[in-house]
Amino acid sequence: MNVLVVDDFATMRKIVRNVLKQIGIESVVEAENGKMALDVLKREEIDLIISDWIMPEMTGIDFLKACKSDDGIKNIPFLMVTAEAQKGCIMEAIKSGVDNYIVKPFTPDKLQAAIEKAKARIGK
Amino acid sequence: MDIKYINPFIVAAQTVFKTMLGISAEMGKPALKTVNRTSGDVTGIMGLVGDKKGTVAISLREKGAKFVYKTLVGEECESISQDVVDAIGEITNIISGQARKEFEKNDINLNAAIPMVIVGKEVEMNFITKIPIISLPFYFSLDNGSSNDKEVIYVDFSFE
Repeated sequence: MNVLVVDDFATMRKIVRNVLKQIGIESVVEAENGKMALDVLKREEIDLIISDWIMPEMTGIDFLKACKSDDGIKNIPFLMVTAEAQKGCIMEAIKSGVDNYIVKPFTPDKLQAAIEKAKARIGK
Repeated sequence: MDIKYINPFIVAAQTVFKTMLGISAEMGKPALKTVNRTSGDVTGIMGLVGDKKGTVAISLREKGAKFVYKTLVGEECESISQDVVDAIGEITNIISGQARKEFEKNDINLNAAIPMVIVGKEVEMNFITKIPIISLPFYFSLDNGSSNDKEVIYVDFSFE
Protein backbone atom coordinates (compact mmCIF):
# COMPACT_ATOMS: atom_id res chain seq x y z
CA MET A 1 0.00 0.00 0.00
CA ASN A 2 1.46 3.35 -1.07
CA VAL A 3 0.36 6.43 0.90
CA LEU A 4 0.78 10.05 -0.12
CA VAL A 5 1.18 12.40 2.87
CA VAL A 6 0.74 16.08 2.06
CA ASP A 7 1.61 18.72 4.66
CA ASP A 8 3.79 21.82 4.63
CA PHE A 9 5.05 20.96 8.13
CA ALA A 10 7.72 18.24 8.21
CA THR A 11 6.74 17.51 11.82
CA MET A 12 3.23 16.50 10.85
CA ARG A 13 4.51 14.40 7.95
CA LYS A 14 6.75 12.56 10.45
CA ILE A 15 3.87 12.08 12.92
CA VAL A 16 1.68 10.61 10.16
CA ARG A 17 4.57 8.43 8.97
CA ASN A 18 5.01 7.10 12.53
CA VAL A 19 1.30 6.28 12.77
CA LEU A 20 1.42 4.51 9.38
CA LYS A 21 4.50 2.55 10.47
CA GLN A 22 2.68 1.35 13.59
CA ILE A 23 0.08 -0.29 11.39
CA GLY A 24 2.62 -1.80 9.03
CA ILE A 25 2.59 0.77 6.23
CA GLU A 26 6.15 1.73 5.29
CA SER A 27 5.62 2.87 1.72
CA VAL A 28 5.03 6.60 2.04
CA VAL A 29 5.56 9.45 -0.41
CA GLU A 30 5.63 13.01 0.93
CA ALA A 31 4.64 16.33 -0.63
CA GLU A 32 4.67 19.83 0.86
CA ASN A 33 1.56 21.18 -0.85
CA GLY A 34 -1.25 20.28 -3.23
CA LYS A 35 0.68 21.24 -6.34
CA MET A 36 3.59 18.95 -5.46
CA ALA A 37 1.11 16.22 -4.54
CA LEU A 38 -0.57 16.40 -7.96
CA ASP A 39 2.87 15.93 -9.54
CA VAL A 40 3.41 12.83 -7.39
CA LEU A 41 0.03 11.44 -8.49
CA LYS A 42 1.08 11.80 -12.13
CA ARG A 43 4.10 9.56 -11.69
CA GLU A 44 3.24 7.17 -8.83
CA GLU A 45 0.45 4.77 -8.06
CA ILE A 46 -1.07 5.95 -4.78
CA ASP A 47 -3.59 3.99 -2.71
CA LEU A 48 -4.42 6.59 -0.07
CA ILE A 49 -4.03 10.37 0.29
CA ILE A 50 -3.62 12.04 3.70
CA SER A 51 -3.60 15.82 3.33
CA ASP A 52 -3.48 18.98 5.40
CA TRP A 53 -5.72 21.94 4.49
CA ILE A 54 -3.71 25.15 4.94
CA MET A 55 -0.62 24.99 2.74
CA PRO A 56 1.18 27.43 0.47
CA GLU A 57 1.03 27.12 -3.34
CA MET A 58 -2.08 24.92 -3.36
CA THR A 59 -4.30 24.33 -0.33
CA GLY A 60 -5.66 20.96 0.71
CA ILE A 61 -9.21 21.85 -0.28
CA ASP A 62 -8.11 22.89 -3.79
CA PHE A 63 -6.05 19.71 -4.00
CA LEU A 64 -9.09 17.65 -2.92
CA LYS A 65 -11.26 19.31 -5.58
CA ALA A 66 -8.59 18.68 -8.22
CA CYS A 67 -8.39 15.01 -7.23
CA LYS A 68 -12.14 14.48 -7.23
CA SER A 69 -12.55 16.08 -10.66
CA ASP A 70 -9.94 13.82 -12.25
CA ASP A 71 -11.35 10.44 -13.35
CA GLY A 72 -7.94 8.84 -13.06
CA ILE A 73 -7.49 9.56 -9.35
CA LYS A 74 -10.93 10.42 -7.98
CA ASN A 75 -11.40 6.99 -6.40
CA ILE A 76 -8.29 7.20 -4.24
CA PRO A 77 -9.51 7.60 -0.62
CA PHE A 78 -8.75 11.11 0.62
CA LEU A 79 -8.30 11.82 4.35
CA MET A 80 -8.12 15.46 5.38
CA VAL A 81 -6.05 15.92 8.57
CA THR A 82 -6.20 19.56 9.53
CA ALA A 83 -6.40 22.15 12.29
CA GLU A 84 -9.42 23.67 10.50
CA ALA A 85 -12.15 22.60 12.90
CA GLN A 86 -14.85 25.08 11.92
CA LYS A 87 -18.16 23.69 10.67
CA GLY A 88 -17.95 25.59 7.38
CA CYS A 89 -14.61 23.96 6.55
CA ILE A 90 -15.84 20.47 7.38
CA MET A 91 -18.97 20.99 5.26
CA GLU A 92 -16.95 22.28 2.32
CA ALA A 93 -14.66 19.25 2.47
CA ILE A 94 -17.61 16.85 2.64
CA LYS A 95 -19.27 18.56 -0.33
CA SER A 96 -15.99 18.29 -2.21
CA GLY A 97 -15.89 14.53 -1.68
CA VAL A 98 -13.52 13.99 1.24
CA ASP A 99 -13.63 10.42 2.57
CA ASN A 100 -12.75 11.28 6.16
CA TYR A 101 -11.97 14.45 8.09
CA ILE A 102 -9.72 14.41 11.14
CA VAL A 103 -9.22 17.53 13.21
CA LYS A 104 -5.84 18.25 14.79
CA PRO A 105 -5.09 17.63 17.59
CA PHE A 106 -5.69 13.93 17.16
CA THR A 107 -4.59 10.80 18.96
CA PRO A 108 -2.71 8.16 16.94
CA ASP A 109 -5.65 5.78 17.52
CA LYS A 110 -8.03 8.12 15.75
CA LEU A 111 -5.82 8.43 12.67
CA GLN A 112 -5.13 4.68 12.67
CA ALA A 113 -8.87 3.95 12.71
CA ALA A 114 -9.46 6.26 9.74
CA ILE A 115 -6.60 4.66 7.80
CA GLU A 116 -7.87 1.14 8.58
CA LYS A 117 -11.31 2.18 7.36
CA ALA A 118 -9.83 3.49 4.11
CA LYS A 119 -7.75 0.31 3.72
CA ALA A 120 -10.86 -1.81 4.11
CA ARG A 121 -12.63 0.29 1.48
CA ILE A 122 -9.97 -0.32 -1.10
CA GLY A 123 -9.45 -3.93 -0.03
CA LYS A 124 -5.78 -3.62 0.97
CA MET B 1 -10.56 42.18 27.44
CA ASP B 2 -13.81 40.22 27.58
CA ILE B 3 -13.48 36.75 29.13
CA LYS B 4 -15.10 35.27 26.02
CA TYR B 5 -11.97 36.28 24.12
CA ILE B 6 -9.65 34.65 26.67
CA ASN B 7 -11.30 31.28 27.27
CA PRO B 8 -10.86 29.98 23.69
CA PHE B 9 -7.09 30.29 24.04
CA ILE B 10 -7.09 28.49 27.41
CA VAL B 11 -9.29 25.64 26.16
CA ALA B 12 -7.30 25.35 22.92
CA ALA B 13 -3.91 25.28 24.63
CA GLN B 14 -4.92 22.70 27.23
CA THR B 15 -6.63 20.48 24.63
CA VAL B 16 -3.60 20.50 22.35
CA PHE B 17 -1.08 19.92 25.15
CA LYS B 18 -3.12 16.96 26.44
CA THR B 19 -3.87 15.35 23.06
CA MET B 20 -0.67 15.94 21.10
CA LEU B 21 1.91 16.06 23.91
CA GLY B 22 0.22 13.93 26.57
CA ILE B 23 0.82 16.56 29.25
CA SER B 24 -1.55 18.12 31.72
CA ALA B 25 -0.34 21.68 31.74
CA GLU B 26 -1.28 23.76 34.76
CA MET B 27 -2.14 27.34 33.97
CA GLY B 28 -0.31 29.92 36.05
CA LYS B 29 -1.35 33.47 36.75
CA PRO B 30 -2.24 35.43 33.60
CA ALA B 31 -0.22 38.60 33.17
CA LEU B 32 -0.28 41.65 30.97
CA LYS B 33 2.89 41.88 28.94
CA THR B 34 4.52 45.23 29.51
CA VAL B 35 7.16 44.75 26.82
CA ASN B 36 6.56 43.61 23.26
CA ARG B 37 9.17 40.88 23.34
CA THR B 38 9.04 37.12 22.95
CA SER B 39 8.54 35.24 26.20
CA GLY B 40 10.74 32.22 25.40
CA ASP B 41 13.51 31.08 23.05
CA VAL B 42 11.32 29.72 20.24
CA THR B 43 8.07 31.48 19.39
CA GLY B 44 5.38 30.57 16.89
CA ILE B 45 3.22 33.51 15.85
CA MET B 46 -0.06 33.50 13.99
CA GLY B 47 -2.35 36.36 13.01
CA LEU B 48 -6.10 35.94 13.29
CA VAL B 49 -8.47 37.83 11.02
CA GLY B 50 -12.17 37.72 10.27
CA ASP B 51 -14.98 38.99 12.49
CA LYS B 52 -12.26 40.16 14.91
CA LYS B 53 -8.52 40.59 14.63
CA GLY B 54 -5.69 39.47 16.82
CA THR B 55 -2.44 37.63 17.19
CA VAL B 56 -1.46 34.55 19.15
CA ALA B 57 2.12 33.59 20.02
CA ILE B 58 3.20 30.25 21.47
CA SER B 59 6.57 30.58 23.14
CA LEU B 60 8.85 28.05 24.79
CA ARG B 61 12.30 27.98 26.30
CA GLU B 62 14.88 25.80 24.54
CA LYS B 63 14.37 22.82 26.84
CA GLY B 64 10.60 22.92 26.41
CA ALA B 65 10.84 23.30 22.64
CA LYS B 66 13.12 20.26 22.39
CA PHE B 67 10.69 18.32 24.62
CA VAL B 68 7.81 19.22 22.29
CA TYR B 69 9.76 18.02 19.25
CA LYS B 70 10.82 14.78 20.94
CA THR B 71 7.27 14.07 22.14
CA LEU B 72 5.67 14.77 18.77
CA VAL B 73 8.16 13.01 16.52
CA GLY B 74 9.90 10.54 18.82
CA GLU B 75 13.41 11.76 17.96
CA GLU B 76 16.01 13.41 20.19
CA CYS B 77 17.48 16.75 19.16
CA GLU B 78 20.58 18.51 20.46
CA SER B 79 19.71 22.09 19.60
CA ILE B 80 16.97 24.28 18.19
CA SER B 81 17.20 22.88 14.69
CA GLN B 82 14.92 23.51 11.73
CA ASP B 83 12.98 20.40 12.83
CA VAL B 84 12.27 21.97 16.24
CA VAL B 85 11.25 25.25 14.59
CA ASP B 86 8.89 23.32 12.32
CA ALA B 87 7.34 21.50 15.32
CA ILE B 88 6.66 24.75 17.16
CA GLY B 89 5.08 26.16 13.99
CA GLU B 90 2.79 23.18 13.77
CA ILE B 91 1.81 23.37 17.46
CA THR B 92 1.00 27.07 16.93
CA ASN B 93 -1.09 26.14 13.92
CA ILE B 94 -3.04 23.51 15.87
CA ILE B 95 -3.64 25.75 18.91
CA SER B 96 -4.84 28.49 16.58
CA GLY B 97 -7.22 26.03 14.90
CA GLN B 98 -8.66 24.90 18.23
CA ALA B 99 -9.05 28.50 19.40
CA ARG B 100 -10.90 29.39 16.19
CA LYS B 101 -13.21 26.41 16.79
CA GLU B 102 -13.94 27.74 20.29
CA PHE B 103 -14.56 31.27 18.96
CA GLU B 104 -17.03 29.83 16.46
CA LYS B 105 -19.16 28.71 19.44
CA ASN B 106 -19.54 32.43 20.25
CA ASP B 107 -20.43 33.21 16.61
CA ILE B 108 -17.02 34.71 15.94
CA ASN B 109 -15.57 33.45 12.68
CA LEU B 110 -11.84 33.74 12.13
CA ASN B 111 -9.60 32.73 9.28
CA ALA B 112 -6.34 30.84 9.35
CA ALA B 113 -2.92 31.82 8.14
CA ILE B 114 0.44 30.11 7.97
CA PRO B 115 2.40 30.66 11.20
CA MET B 116 5.88 32.04 11.41
CA VAL B 117 8.48 31.08 14.01
CA ILE B 118 11.03 33.36 15.68
CA VAL B 119 14.14 31.91 17.31
CA GLY B 120 15.84 34.06 19.92
CA LYS B 121 15.44 35.50 23.39
CA GLU B 122 13.49 38.71 23.92
CA VAL B 123 13.00 39.39 20.25
CA GLU B 124 10.79 42.42 19.65
CA MET B 125 7.36 41.56 18.25
CA ASN B 126 4.63 44.05 17.49
CA PHE B 127 1.06 42.79 17.58
CA ILE B 128 -1.46 44.31 15.18
CA THR B 129 -3.87 45.17 17.97
CA LYS B 130 -3.76 48.27 20.13
CA ILE B 131 -4.87 46.61 23.36
CA PRO B 132 -2.41 44.97 25.78
CA ILE B 133 -1.02 41.49 25.23
CA ILE B 134 -2.20 38.87 27.71
CA SER B 135 0.33 36.22 28.63
CA LEU B 136 -0.89 32.86 29.91
CA PRO B 137 1.85 30.61 31.32
CA PHE B 138 1.20 26.85 31.26
CA TYR B 139 3.52 24.79 33.47
CA PHE B 140 4.26 21.15 32.76
CA SER B 141 6.62 18.42 33.88
CA LEU B 142 9.29 17.05 31.54
CA ASP B 143 9.30 13.65 33.24
CA ASN B 144 5.72 12.91 34.29
CA GLY B 145 6.23 14.61 37.64
CA SER B 146 9.03 12.37 38.91
CA SER B 147 11.16 15.43 39.60
CA ASN B 148 10.51 19.10 40.17
CA ASP B 149 11.79 19.87 36.68
CA LYS B 150 9.09 22.15 35.29
CA GLU B 151 8.94 23.88 31.96
CA VAL B 152 6.58 26.55 30.75
CA ILE B 153 4.70 27.23 27.53
CA TYR B 154 3.56 30.83 27.16
CA VAL B 155 0.40 31.54 25.21
CA ASP B 156 0.53 35.29 24.49
CA PHE B 157 -2.30 36.93 22.64
CA SER B 158 -4.04 40.15 21.90
CA PHE B 159 -7.54 40.20 20.46
CA GLU B 160 -10.05 42.90 19.68
